Amino acid sequence: MKSSAVLFCALLIAVSLPALAQQAVVAKDSPLRAEANATAPVVANVKQGASGEVTAKSGAFVNLKAPDGAGWLFSFNVNFASTGEGSASSGALGRTYGSKQVQATSTLGARGFDTEDLEKASFNAEQMQLFEQYGVSKEAASERARTTGLEPARVDYFSGSAP
Amino acid sequence: MTRLAALLGVVAGLALGTGTQAATFDLGLVRDFAGAVKDVDEKDEIEIGRELTGRVLGVQPLVNDPELQAYVNSVGRWIASHSERPDLPWRFGVIDHPLVNAFAMPGGYVLITSGLYEILDNEAQLAGVLGHEIGHIVRRHHVSAMQQGKGVALIAKLAQARTGNKSAIVKELIGTGATMITRGLDRSAEDEADQLGVVLAARAGYSPYGLVEVLHKLAARKPDDPGLKILFSTHPQPRERLTSLGEALEPRIAALPAGKEPAIRQVSADVLPASAPAPARGARRKPAAAASETQAQPDNAPAASPRGGRGVGIDPGGIMKGIFGR
Repeated sequence: MKSSAVLFCALLIAVSLPALAQQAVVAKDSPLRAEANATAPVVANVKQGASGEVTAKSGAFVNLKAPDGAGWLFSFNVNFASTGEGSASSGALGRTYGSKQVQATSTLGARGFDTEDLEKASFNAEQMQLFEQYGVSKEAASERARTTGLEPARVDYFSGSAP
Repeated sequence: MTRLAALLGVVAGLALGTGTQAATFDLGLVRDFAGAVKDVDEKDEIEIGRELTGRVLGVQPLVNDPELQAYVNSVGRWIASHSERPDLPWRFGVIDHPLVNAFAMPGGYVLITSGLYEILDNEAQLAGVLGHEIGHIVRRHHVSAMQQGKGVALIAKLAQARTGNKSAIVKELIGTGATMITRGLDRSAEDEADQLGVVLAARAGYSPYGLVEVLHKLAARKPDDPGLKILFSTHPQPRERLTSLGEALEPRIAALPAGKEPAIRQVSADVLPASAPAPARGARRKPAAAASETQAQPDNAPAASPRGGRGVGIDPGGIMKGIFGR
């Protein structure tokens, strides 16, 4: 009974703790801005290799708290701390980019999709039929997008990537 | 020798590299090869892509969740509708495999693994991944690779398989060509597909940064992750991709819309192959509670995505080659 109470209290504490900040390292010398946009005033500068804690994301920026200051950093300019196997989303990035928990299991020995298997593979007509049946029309996809609240935007390709 | 057989051979050759140098050369085959490569049209692309897709499905079947498959098709088709090739026979599927991977086949066929799907936290991330694969198809990266002669080594295979029987040739070549699925394109094609993935997702109304977030997830994995060895053998490191993408994106941030991050549908049903017999209950299934939530959602809305759910992936970090790369 006593141990159950202790466990219950421990769980309560765990649940009530705020999400911890994520450890990150600055990948290149960068400005920290007052807001999450590229034209906001620079409030500090951080050097490549500086460590800090990422506490939030907003578009292309993450909020970094580092010894040299705090502010919004272009998210491409940060490296998150390495995580353990099987914890790509549940570890360092879980609190910024999502917290989906996943089971960590070694991939070694996983069968079914390596080059050797593919070389021996036969065309699976039954699965292909299913695959093709699952397709949806442009109209159906458009309607689903509309009801999801997605609003198409005019966005040009970057120079050099236009088809 | 048919043109299709030659084309399939070229596709196969993309994967062969230096390990399959021609033992003998047949100038007739070389001419067939060159002509076939030059004239790859959309019909050829579709035929090649369909054949390769069927082969992949012969190894790994689709997740047995029709609602999930329809959902991914809805998202993918919507994104593809904002590309320059909206009328390809676009098909998207989630295959039942724990490793993190995604493939694009010529002609509009895209497959992602359940292991990849599992690490996605919102629909914008899914859109970024699908946008990258769509980008490969839109830009005909595979065909370009053929035209650059990367499949020349396949001539040897063509010669060996030259029996006059198309199906035999195709079988021989596709069997070898399946390795294309596990081999990456060159760095410029990957960088370009990353950029297109961002743009296409944004055009479709999603946050442009879904793909960026997925790359961050991968970059944060330990270098000695067993799956990463394969990924890194065929694709640029996620960190390098982030750097390239960041350099391209930074001057354009202000012009990009914020977009949306809708919830992503979780796998809500049995993940055993659709053609498999009745599953052993409890094996790799979603908890009943999660399934209930899924069923409670409107048809057009993704199932609830309760954080902490086990999902279908038994190892989201097992990363085969080809991640976002095919």
